[in-house]
Amino acid sequence: MTKIEKEIHPIVIKIEHLVKSYGVIKAVNDISFQVMQGEAFGMLGPNGAGKTTTAEIIEGLRQADSGRVSVLGLDIARVPAKIKQRIGIQLQAPSLLPLVTVQEILQLFASFYKQSIPIDDILELLALKESRKILVKNLSGGQQQRLSVAMALINNPDIAFLDEPTTGLDPQARRSLWSVIEDMRKKGKTIFLTTHYMEEAERLCDRVAIIDHGQIIAMDSPKELISTHFKESAIQFELEPAPPEVVLQTFPGATQVMVSSSEVIVYSNNIPTTMSAILKYAEKVNLTDKLKDLYVREATLEDVFLKLTGRKIRE
Amino acid sequence: MKAFNKLLISDLKQFLRDKTALFFTFAFPILFIFIFGWVFSGAGNISYEIGLVKNNSSVTSEGISQILHQIPIFEINEGEKTDKLTELEEGNLRAVIVIPDDIDSIIGASQPVEIKVYYDPAQTTSAQIILPVLKQAIDEVNRQITQQPLLLQLSEESIQAHDLRDIDYLVPGILAMSILFLGLFGSIVLVERREKKILKRFGATPLNRSTMVFSQITYRMILALIQTLIIIGIASLVFNVQMVGNWLLLLGLVLLGTLTFISIGYFAVARAKTTEGAMPIIQIIQFPMLFLSGIFFPVDFMPDFMRPIIAIIPLTYLGDAFRQVMVDATPLYPLSLDIAILVAWLVICMVLAVKLFRWE
Repeated sequence: MTKIEKEIHPIVIKIEHLVKSYGVIKAVNDISFQVMQGEAFGMLGPNGAGKTTTAEIIEGLRQADSGRVSVLGLDIARVPAKIKQRIGIQLQAPSLLPLVTVQEILQLFASFYKQSIPIDDILELLALKESRKILVKNLSGGQQQRLSVAMALINNPDIAFLDEPTTGLDPQARRSLWSVIEDMRKKGKTIFLTTHYMEEAERLCDRVAIIDHGQIIAMDSPKELISTHFKESAIQFELEPAPPEVVLQTFPGATQVMVSSSEVIVYSNNIPTTMSAILKYAEKVNLTDKLKDLYVREATLEDVFLKLTGRKIRE
Repeated sequence: MKAFNKLLISDLKQFLRDKTALFFTFAFPILFIFIFGWVFSGAGNISYEIGLVKNNSSVTSEGISQILHQIPIFEINEGEKTDKLTELEEGNLRAVIVIPDDIDSIIGASQPVEIKVYYDPAQTTSAQIILPVLKQAIDEVNRQITQQPLLLQLSEESIQAHDLRDIDYLVPGILAMSILFLGLFGSIVLVERREKKILKRFGATPLNRSTMVFSQITYRMILALIQTLIIIGIASLVFNVQMVGNWLLLLGLVLLGTLTFISIGYFAVARAKTTEGAMPIIQIIQFPMLFLSGIFFPVDFMPDFMRPIIAIIPLTYLGDAFRQVMVDATPLYPLSLDIAILVAWLVICMVLAVKLFRWE
């Protein structure tokens, strides 16, 4: 890399051929990628795909079997304390002391760093001002999750690692956390996010690595990922029993077909003709009353994952 | 240093908010002192009811009866033989003494008199106490009848500067017990924090593990000192147990004991995965120590085969050291040996804990 490139787009995380096994299971199987400064980078994949393991190796919480990891130009294995000063980590589990208040735990964690941002600012940012005097154990799940993110930002980190920040939250709490992360992104903070919600990755990330069985199967911006794999829209419906795939593939306009039990997705480059073929089929087999939830939508990252792996992300 | 202070203050605050911890750290030892204090303060008044069957017209019988009535721990209950034996069987009497009706004529004929004592061997303690006392009483009667002069007399002289009551023996033991609990259970906090991934969260910051462990230890030591003051305060105000030794030496022993039991605890749970898994381990260590260390009753009561165990457990030495320093009790071991053994336990367990402890 030349000096000029470094100034324009400094690489803050650089992973090369990372491998980590637990017994016979290869949790991380030869993963390489780079994250640029100011980028919101997401690792999207089902549970057990190796996202958290990868993140925790970068954070210095686990050791890789082989491969190279450089964070902020430093080697995490050699100078972990130096790197930990400059990164902020939110673990998947809330990991909070139950009998301290929101304010106290933030002050406690602030004391671990050479530099920290004022508690009031961080409370403001995560909408926790009202609950500053409340004991952690009395917080709601959403508040605990926001506190957990607040703790990751207390040292004004160069990179914020967020591991499944919205897992287990209700849709409202999820949206409010998303807007916090969007704010951070606007402020130019580097964000490393792992998630199994494709909607979350699509909305929050500049670039997404889709990971499955410890390997990256696709990596690009969400928009590019979708448009590379799908020029067409998706028609989704439920029918019991579902039409055989071979039949669906003969429908006019159909480019690709996914059937899982009664749920059917037909990707089509000609929606009206494919749609009428579906309706005619239902009529022919006398199942019009069993045809449910028929709708047309744009392809999403979920479809990309489905296409690449043949599985749904949450299965 | 900033992180150390914050952690320490945070731990103290968490402690004050934890009702269970508060109870077990402070209320429990206090309760212990009161319960033991009351139980043992009544110990001096314990008496044994003894049945006596005799011929009221006999002079010798009356003489024996008088001597028996003078024995403070006996409450003499006279009556018919059959009635008294039934009462003994029912457990209402501890022993029945039967003096033959014709005792005067037997003595007159210079024949030995057979005085029968019925007792229930199942009631071991009373039998052990009653029989020797009775024997002594009969010897005394014997001597008076034969009018032999008293040649040898035992004079009791306590080597302690002041007499030790049971409660004096117990208070240092209760302090040792409290230190044992405080130290051992300290490790549970660490296991709980490991289980809840709080240690992992700390590990994601630049915080040093040693800073965290030292603040935990300091926090426990502060609790130990507060506990010591409360126990000594109550013992002195309510039960008049006076601390006679050197306060600085006591302080040093409290801190050494706390440190020793903390390191034993950390070592014991080094590999325990959950709090539920760690609790039984701590209890397995704690219970034998409580009962075999002689902190509640002297180790002389223990059977011989227990001696090696008694001689190895650290609580024996902490209890012994506390008794020596607090109430000037007779040493089981020299104080320097007590300290040396505690230090040895501390060092060995600390090294093992550091080697074996799993942070995740």
